[in-house]
Amino acid sequence: MAMTVRPVSRPRRGLLEQSYLWEVARGLGVTFRHFFINLARHCLRLAGLRAEPGAVTIQYPDEPAVLGRRARTRHRLLRRPDGSPRCTACLLCETICPARCIRITAEESPDPAVEKRAKTFDIDLGMCVFCGHCVEACPVDAIHMDADQVELAAYSRGDMIWDMPALMRDTK
Amino acid sequence: MILLAWTAVKVGYALAFGLGLAGFLGWVERKQSAVAQDRIGANRAQIFGWRLIGLFHPIADGIKLITKEDFVPARALRPFHALAPALSLGCCLLCLAALPFGGTVEVFGRVWSLQPFESRVGLVYVLAFLALGVHGVVMAGYVSGSNYGLLGGLRGAAQMVAYEVCMAAILAAPMFLYGTLDLQEAVLAQGGYWGGWLPTWGVFRQPLAFVLYLVAGTAASKRIPFDLPEGEAEIVGYHVEYSGMKFGMFMISDFVENIVVCGLGATLFLGGWGIPFVSLAGAWGGLLMLASFAVKTCALLFLLMQVRWTLPRFRVDQLLDLGWKSVLPLALLNFLATVWGAWLWR
Amino acid sequence: MDKTLRFTLDGRPIEARLGETVLEAATRAGVMIPHYCWHQALGNPGNCRMCIVEVEGAAKPQVSCRLPAREGLVVRSISPAARRAQCSALEFHLVDHPLDCPVCDQSGECGLQDYYMDIGRYKSAMREDKAHAGKRLALGPHIMLDQERCIMCTRCTRFVGQVSKSHELGIFGRGHRQAVDLVPGRALDNPYSGNLADICPVGALTDRDFRFQVRVWYLDSTESICPGCSRGCNIFVHTSTRRPWQNQGRRLARLKPRFSPEVNGHWICDEGRYGFLDFDSKRLGRVMRLKPVSEELSWDRAAQEVAAALRRKPVEGLAVAASGALSNEDWLAFKELFVDTLQARRFLFAPEPDQAGTEDQLLRRREKTPNLEGGKALGFGTKIESLGWDSLAGDIEAGKVWGLYVIDRDPAQAWGGRSRELLERLDLLIYQGPRQCLAGELAHYRLPATAWLEEEGHFTNFQGNVQGYQRALQPLGAAKPDWAIFADLERRLKP
Repeated sequence: MAMTVRPVSRPRRGLLEQSYLWEVARGLGVTFRHFFINLARHCLRLAGLRAEPGAVTIQYPDEPAVLGRRARTRHRLLRRPDGSPRCTACLLCETICPARCIRITAEESPDPAVEKRAKTFDIDLGMCVFCGHCVEACPVDAIHMDADQVELAAYSRGDMIWDMPALMRDTK
Repeated sequence: MILLAWTAVKVGYALAFGLGLAGFLGWVERKQSAVAQDRIGANRAQIFGWRLIGLFHPIADGIKLITKEDFVPARALRPFHALAPALSLGCCLLCLAALPFGGTVEVFGRVWSLQPFESRVGLVYVLAFLALGVHGVVMAGYVSGSNYGLLGGLRGAAQMVAYEVCMAAILAAPMFLYGTLDLQEAVLAQGGYWGGWLPTWGVFRQPLAFVLYLVAGTAASKRIPFDLPEGEAEIVGYHVEYSGMKFGMFMISDFVENIVVCGLGATLFLGGWGIPFVSLAGAWGGLLMLASFAVKTCALLFLLMQVRWTLPRFRVDQLLDLGWKSVLPLALLNFLATVWGAWLWR
Repeated sequence: MDKTLRFTLDGRPIEARLGETVLEAATRAGVMIPHYCWHQALGNPGNCRMCIVEVEGAAKPQVSCRLPAREGLVVRSISPAARRAQCSALEFHLVDHPLDCPVCDQSGECGLQDYYMDIGRYKSAMREDKAHAGKRLALGPHIMLDQERCIMCTRCTRFVGQVSKSHELGIFGRGHRQAVDLVPGRALDNPYSGNLADICPVGALTDRDFRFQVRVWYLDSTESICPGCSRGCNIFVHTSTRRPWQNQGRRLARLKPRFSPEVNGHWICDEGRYGFLDFDSKRLGRVMRLKPVSEELSWDRAAQEVAAALRRKPVEGLAVAASGALSNEDWLAFKELFVDTLQARRFLFAPEPDQAGTEDQLLRRREKTPNLEGGKALGFGTKIESLGWDSLAGDIEAGKVWGLYVIDRDPAQAWGGRSRELLERLDLLIYQGPRQCLAGELAHYRLPATAWLEEEGHFTNFQGNVQGYQRALQPLGAAKPDWAIFADLERRLKP
């Protein structure tokens, strides 16, 4: 695309703006309004009169985090109706993964209709960038990123690697 | 002997007023900004589960600053590196001495003055020590052995010198009206009433000077929107090479400077310790004087704090333009108009 | 026969020889027309209908694999009509195809996938259920059949009929019950069966060895030469190093034939194809002195000590056992070290008598080493005679040989139970090679050498063709090519 120059005229400022005073006063009006309204709400809430909160802060570790409906959280491996993993070890998620955090090894499945299944399925959440490409790539809808778990800290790098049983646990 | 003891008491009160309020301002700064921005603000420090709306945070800050490693860069000039914060804090603490926390009261058959340091030239004294504070800033920037610190110190010097000049020019007009340089007499000069109801406070007699004073005072005490010498988060300032309590001293001296500016503003524009329509006498009168002065100072602090959390920072050229090209000429014009007006009035 | 014809394909002039089909001429000219059943070596039954093209003047589209090139023919293979015809043919192929690409080892190199992406009809008109047939049928030791994926191109049955001439496979049934299967009572165990996985254009015939090991798009391909026998078949080496956890951690994934009209044509034998997959086992990577004091050495130190040890006693008592797996470069450095500089007299490089393998008319040769011919060019086998293992054993027992320098050979294969006693009798045993063996355990000095895939070099095959192979993998540990070790020693031994 060719670069073009588009002149943007500077905003014209009159004496009122240039003296700053009126604009400063307007700004102060906004912050004072917030200050006193919030202060009143805090006080009323403290006195137990009204429940309206004076702040939008979520006290995160004390209160649960609010996740968006489509937030990408920890991965989850889905099961078939008979309880076996849906994953057929096609390795498309491992291939698409830009962080290379998925490690799958395949094996022969005893079920001839399934044919191939994952022997191991590890996700290194320490490397995962939560892009969701693996979910998009999966042809059998075996992996979702909706475990609604965002607290994934661990005490060692090794503990950040989740294996297949862990990823299939607490399936919704 | 009694006089000496009384002076010691007054000095103690001034120090307690300045340093106590400075510590408190740390909490105010956090909480006021939080409430104005729909947040909660610092509330995690606790003693036995008591949080007291974050009032323990200044204490926690103090403990942290004292116990932190006192790091001195290898290229710093050690004695001066230590001297700079002391100079900064010392100068602004000395300013407190000349503030009229109260007038004179007659108790136990004696006349007691509530001003720690009574001087015919109190204003000049305060302005002088405020101006001396710049040495601490420049020294800190220069001896740190850091380019960032040096640049911050130079910005500080340019800014503070510019606005000290402005301060003197601005205050010339009200002081001309009061006819004195003694701060106590300036308070007394604001004790009258116009039309029997409007107190003859400086803010009503010199509204332009009041506004200019707030601007220059904010700049002289290096507060946002004029905090270019510091700029902690982005442009880093003269105290970038300081840590621990030395850094804390710079922080405190900032707050104390702010208190001095607001105290001086309350004295010269808000009628000082006076309370309209209330005659203050005796011990209770003295306490009311102290309270009145404290309330007026705090009101100004509150206003400046709100300004700090409302406006973005000025650029250095804008700042100096504002000082030299707007505030100073306006102050001089205001002084000329005042003198001329007074002559016409007569 | 040399007469050249000219015709036009998609507006481009193509030259064809008399008797060539349009598809052959186009392929030779580098224009790919979709096809499944036609194979250069297997003929053109014309049953897949994928190579269908539009011919100017013809009433109907023609299959280009059965259309002889004629002077002035105007053929269009990418015109809308031709594309429509190819697309319909592909749609028919996919009627019963299970579309199980996620679990199919062919995916990534599958003709159905490739053409589907190019010309596929993305919405199939097929509304019936797919026909089911046998899956996961092991036809023999190497090949797995999935009848559902088969598109009946008959390449495999033509292969067992024309190339291996073993006739194990046939087409059975009619209509949608038609399927490839084994002739009753037979197993697909001919020595060239691995080629079926290569020629099958879809995932119907796949390698059992390669099954589920690694996806093909993780592989790197390198041109190489098979070291399995003196034929020197041209191959592609497929290595899996990008994802170390795949392919059970092995770096070598598979070998594939590389077309070479003079040497091996399109094929390789199963011995070569599956014989080297344990490439990474028992590898040596550290330069060691094992006796008298076990210690890891730097190359510099090791060369110094080995050079001194080789000179310690009269050279008449020094024997050198080399293998025919040395490259031409190795042979030259070998000759310069042992013949020219050390002037050793006792050499052993002939293959063990019982190492000689089966030989057939197609590819396999008796000598199971790739490069005896390269040694012969330098006089090994002509001017210099090779000792036998038995005479060497006799010399060691008689005390005539005090030192033995073994290069990538295991005397234990020839000497059996006597070998430990014989090797321990020696004053100096040096083992140089890529893999651990008994000689490596008992040696005084053990020098790690790179293996064939970790170096580049040349083999001369039995016909005298000098063929180069490229480096496909990184050397392990401190391993160096044989020629570099020889050259280092030679530099130190030169007066």
